[in-house]
Amino acid sequence: MNEPLLDVRNLRTYFYLSEGIVKAVDGVSFTVNKDEVFCLVGETGCGKSVTALSIMRLVPYPGKIVGGSILYEGTDLLKLSEEEMRLIRGREIAMIFQNPMRSLNPVFTIGYQVAEAPMVHFNLPSQDAWNKAVDLIGKVKIPDPEVRAKNYPHVLSGGMRQRSMIAMMISCEPKLLIADEPTTSVDVTVQAQLMDLLLDIKRKQKMSIILITHNFGLVAETGDRAAVMYSGKIVEIGTVKEIFKEPLHPYTQGLLQCLPISFERKKELNFIPGTLPSPINPPKGCRFHPRCSHATEKCKVEEPPLIELKKGHFVACHLYGG
Amino acid sequence: MFANLNSFRKTTGRLMSTIISLIRYNKASCVGVVLILGITIIAIGAPFIAIEHYAEVDIANRLQPPSLSHPFGTDVLGRDVFSRVVYGARIALGVGLLAVFVEVFVGVPLGIIAGYFGGKVDKIISALGDAVWAFPPIVLALGVVMLIGPGLINVMVAIALTYWPVFTRVTRAKVQSLVNREFILAARAIGESDFNIMLRYLLPNVIPVNIVLATLYLPAAILSTTALSFLGFGAQPPTPDWGLMLAEGASQLVIAPWIATFPGIFIVITALGFNLVGDGLRDLLDPKLKV
Repeated sequence: MNEPLLDVRNLRTYFYLSEGIVKAVDGVSFTVNKDEVFCLVGETGCGKSVTALSIMRLVPYPGKIVGGSILYEGTDLLKLSEEEMRLIRGREIAMIFQNPMRSLNPVFTIGYQVAEAPMVHFNLPSQDAWNKAVDLIGKVKIPDPEVRAKNYPHVLSGGMRQRSMIAMMISCEPKLLIADEPTTSVDVTVQAQLMDLLLDIKRKQKMSIILITHNFGLVAETGDRAAVMYSGKIVEIGTVKEIFKEPLHPYTQGLLQCLPISFERKKELNFIPGTLPSPINPPKGCRFHPRCSHATEKCKVEEPPLIELKKGHFVACHLYGG
Repeated sequence: MFANLNSFRKTTGRLMSTIISLIRYNKASCVGVVLILGITIIAIGAPFIAIEHYAEVDIANRLQPPSLSHPFGTDVLGRDVFSRVVYGARIALGVGLLAVFVEVFVGVPLGIIAGYFGGKVDKIISALGDAVWAFPPIVLALGVVMLIGPGLINVMVAIALTYWPVFTRVTRAKVQSLVNREFILAARAIGESDFNIMLRYLLPNVIPVNIVLATLYLPAAILSTTALSFLGFGAQPPTPDWGLMLAEGASQLVIAPWIATFPGIFIVITALGFNLVGDGLRDLLDPKLKV
């Protein structure tokens, strides 16, 4: 169970804009074990998606991976040639995107698009690939797969499109699936169904999932371990159970308090004061200190390292072990 | 091209429904469709419609005004102008279509490559296109014909070399708007190669805009060929090219105006027809212009 599949070490991805360098991902390290759901949680713009795109080596221009290593089953993905990386994508590591409305090619039927990856990676003849596509479309629980396979994306509902997307991405049975906010653009009932489907496929195919989300409910329900990101850095890593029971970092505590869990109407919802810092010119020391109620003088000058407080539970904060 | 008869039927069906809605919503392009159909029928049925062969000389009956036996009159050599105009439709349509095809085949792939790769590749292709586009089209085409020699095929090549940047520019802009869409990212995420992405993801998405562009640039190609023929660089006698006939008739304009007038009218009709249909298609395919 605890064999590492993916080991990201000190990953740094910067965007070179005319206004300055945006350090979207600045020294992120984590491991994803075999057969687990690893959650990457954080606010919009904290670098979750860029981390995912870096693993796929699909960082859009003007972004660039400037340092670190991404070990996938022992090989450093950052050292592979573009052609070798292309064979990893889809076959070993696949990725689902946030917006199923825009992730499908509008001019081809979904069957054709699902058949695409097996044709690329296994050189399947088109008829076999089509049959496999119909099979997969049935597997992601779209009714009438033979009929639906001949539909164009615009006829399908958001949920069905995301299911097609999942079918497309699991077609080559990847060992790692990166799901970048897969349920953000669908409503809650569909969200539950989709997550259920993903977990079901995960069990059957024995794959790992990196789930990127800002939804703590989803993390609690599906995740094994989680990392909390803030402004391009990981502030806390641990098992989902521990993070919920005993959040260590003030940011994680703040986030959890923001959840409107209770049915009683309180006078006010909790929130974390302030906004995400400017990514071009982040605050010195701990990046969270301007918004942190526990901030001390030390937090303003010295950056806290990620330390292992309990076994498997890491935190980057001066409150502990400092 | 078509996997089976069924998809062929679907494609023709879609084409028909496009033409029908074009006629229904746009009266002007309805006229255009009729004009193009007319010219096409004339071009296809030329041997049956023409009274005599286009090169048949009859010196005894030279410079005859229009009459029942010669509806458009006869020219300096006594050739029947009507027959020559009818055969000329074949040349005008053929050369126009071929020139546009070459333009599309050169322009669209370059546009996709420029838009997809960006950076230096884009700069080189765009600079090349801008350099070509900086010349007045007829002057550049003239220069190319000077280099490779006169003749109908050479004129066609010259025109294609002159107009391809239009297709490159439009395709490049369209591709640039597509490459950042998530489905291209998704395609790369399943391990598609660059070539496959360009061929199977980008090309089908840029076809509609290029169809419109091709219809709008077809009359330009026809006008340019006739212009070059008029100047003596294109078709050589006795080819019944409309531009050449204009040139031959120009010297007789005062005594026999019919020699130049009728081919002139047909040039106008053809260009007008394609322009009207092109405008209609553009309105139909551009959702922003829909009322």
